[in-house]
Amino acid sequence: MIDDSVPRRYRTAAMHSESIPLAARADGALARAVSAADTEEASAAETELYRRFAPRVRLFGLKHLSDRAAAEDLAQQVMLVVISRLRAGQVRDPDQVGSFVLGTSRMMAAGLRRVERRRAALHLRFDSPDERVYANDLSLDATRIAPCLAAIRERERTILLLTYYAERSASEIADALGSTPGAVRVGRHRALAAMRECIEGGKTS
Amino acid sequence: MTTCPSFGELADYWTTDATPADVERIEEHVFECERCARLLSEADRLRAGIGAVAQSGAVQAFVTDAVLNRLARDGVRVRSYSLDPGEAIHCTVWADDDVVVTRLRADFTGIASVDAEMRLDSGEQWAHAADIPIRDGATELVLALPASEIRKAPVAPMRLTLRGAAGSARTGVVAEYVFHHEGALERNS
Repeated sequence: MIDDSVPRRYRTAAMHSESIPLAARADGALARAVSAADTEEASAAETELYRRFAPRVRLFGLKHLSDRAAAEDLAQQVMLVVISRLRAGQVRDPDQVGSFVLGTSRMMAAGLRRVERRRAALHLRFDSPDERVYANDLSLDATRIAPCLAAIRERERTILLLTYYAERSASEIADALGSTPGAVRVGRHRALAAMRECIEGGKTS
Repeated sequence: MTTCPSFGELADYWTTDATPADVERIEEHVFECERCARLLSEADRLRAGIGAVAQSGAVQAFVTDAVLNRLARDGVRVRSYSLDPGEAIHCTVWADDDVVVTRLRADFTGIASVDAEMRLDSGEQWAHAADIPIRDGATELVLALPASEIRKAPVAPMRLTLRGAAGSARTGVVAEYVFHHEGALERNS
């Protein structure tokens, strides 16, 4: 059932996609379903939309904010805004819901960064202990990663540690190892491929 | 929707090499493509896992001061030794050590990479590493070892030999060092 109060741009595709399971629907059809009058259908669509996009917002947050807790907060805040806007029929083009989620993420991350800067300034001023959460919640992955990291070539292990632990650029690594940035990137990609193969295959040699 | 990036490109997103344009391009794609979003997440888990392993001190690697500085910032307890070519040292590992770092000094002029071999006095090979990257003209090679591995090492003299690897202008022995490993010690012993 499509409610007359739903804007026209939300109606047509929603009517056509009602028979398709939510998990199989395109993002746009799902976005339209959020504003459906059938509250059970709308609720299920919201859940599916959250399942699809919250992890992406979390990844975006990890890149642009200071830590995993902030990324988690961002994901929840962004999805709340997105779903509210969809419910109200305020998303101009539901077929571009991915772009809408990304745009909302960018806007809200900028706001959170301002808050973070103010918080960091207060910490410095009052010498408070740092309460940020770091990446220590991956112990399961670490137990699988350690033997694979030990099994790859020396050169590649050095590149991975310098890249992902010391957070050095390819140029800096190339300077340190007497190589070229291009060769470092190639080595990094090769190392990651070997790591994935090792982790997926459970083999270490 | 744009073409799916490779896993390597997605992994580059998490590095300092990614330009703002790269970041924007990856994000625009990932918010339209669930498969690539999953791969980006996998790349994140991989880099975070590598960081966690390094932070736990559980990885043996030839590193640079950038890694040692990060270990220090993370509060990892590092014991350091420095050796000149031909030098023999008495070394041990304490119960609260996480990582043992050895600075192997030598003239690495004309060397693109080295092979390293550690042998017991009996001649038995204890460890071996090939194609260790080194900058031509560098004056030291930094080896980081998990203290847990050193604790398992035999209490015996061991000889470490560095050789110029294939592709270097200089091949053959670059330097040798002798470690008189004295085992693991407790603070109250």
